[in-house]
Amino acid sequence: MAAHRYWLATLAVIVVAAFVHGPAVAADEGLAAWAKVNEVFSHPRCANCHVGADNLPIWSGPHYGSQPRPHGMHVDAGASRIGAENGLLCMSCHGPRNAEANHGPPGAHAWLLAPVSMQWSGRSSAEICAQIKDPQRNGGRALAEIADHVEHDALVGWGWAPGGDREAAPYSAVQAAGFLREWAGHGAPCPSP
Amino acid sequence: MKLSVNGVEHELDVEPEMPLLWALRDALGITGPKYGCGIAQCGACTVHVNGLAVRSCVLRVGDVQGPVTTIEGLGQADALHAVQAAWIEHQVAQCGYCQSGQIMAAAAFLAIQPEPTDEQIDRAMSANLCRCGTYTRIREVVHTAAAKLREA
Repeated sequence: MAAHRYWLATLAVIVVAAFVHGPAVAADEGLAAWAKVNEVFSHPRCANCHVGADNLPIWSGPHYGSQPRPHGMHVDAGASRIGAENGLLCMSCHGPRNAEANHGPPGAHAWLLAPVSMQWSGRSSAEICAQIKDPQRNGGRALAEIADHVEHDALVGWGWAPGGDREAAPYSAVQAAGFLREWAGHGAPCPSP
Repeated sequence: MKLSVNGVEHELDVEPEMPLLWALRDALGITGPKYGCGIAQCGACTVHVNGLAVRSCVLRVGDVQGPVTTIEGLGQADALHAVQAAWIEHQVAQCGYCQSGQIMAAAAFLAIQPEPTDEQIDRAMSANLCRCGTYTRIREVVHTAAAKLREA
């Protein structure tokens, strides 16, 4: 009888612990996964073109001094985010391939700034997290679609193959998509602001 | 490979990795586009592909998709492009090395923005360097050409 009571009590403890600690553990694991996602998204290789409404892409890296600075040549990508308003398209210099030389223009099949609603530059981890979860600001994508976008989009993929001596985004496209799926699987928690 | 330049179809025997500028100058003898920096920093090599300004020093000839226009094909001696005419009118050139790229950039710019402000001109043309410092005259050229193109 004593043994029976012991096992019942143990089972009760396990069940209660699952309810009490389960979501917390999931949130912790989700936040850990998000931290890796944020490490990618806030990296200058990605964030330098996820800029705000000033429409000014940013240059940074070991060849540009210690501080990030606005893109040279007085470039302004405009509200179009491709440079149309001011008649100097991003793709005038950024062709379909990377220039390997330092300070030469990197390139991909298309070259443009991300929409203003997807600003990451200068934004906190909590702010980026909230944006990623907001269909009004993430291109109307479900979280699974965002992971697929990160894994397969050619311009996103450029962040891991920037050419020359340019520093690539951390991890890989496959790993970053995996972090996103792991984060989503744990309830997509966001860090506190 | 085939390459259309200034309305003429050419058959080129060059490596596809060759910069378009090399193909124009060395393979075709079209020397209006100039070599300045080789990394799209100065604009001296600017030509049009499908009417859009591109830096021919970093664009591989094998990646060109569409007809190329150089300064030689922008206008004719007896029918200059409005930017070329304004360039002469305002006597912009000093050493002249950058003018091919400047004119091609300005012509492409005006096709997109026919009524530019000073700020827009400065934004559009700042990627074309002039070591003689003729920028204020270049700005006047763009305004003059814009007015002529609007009248046309």
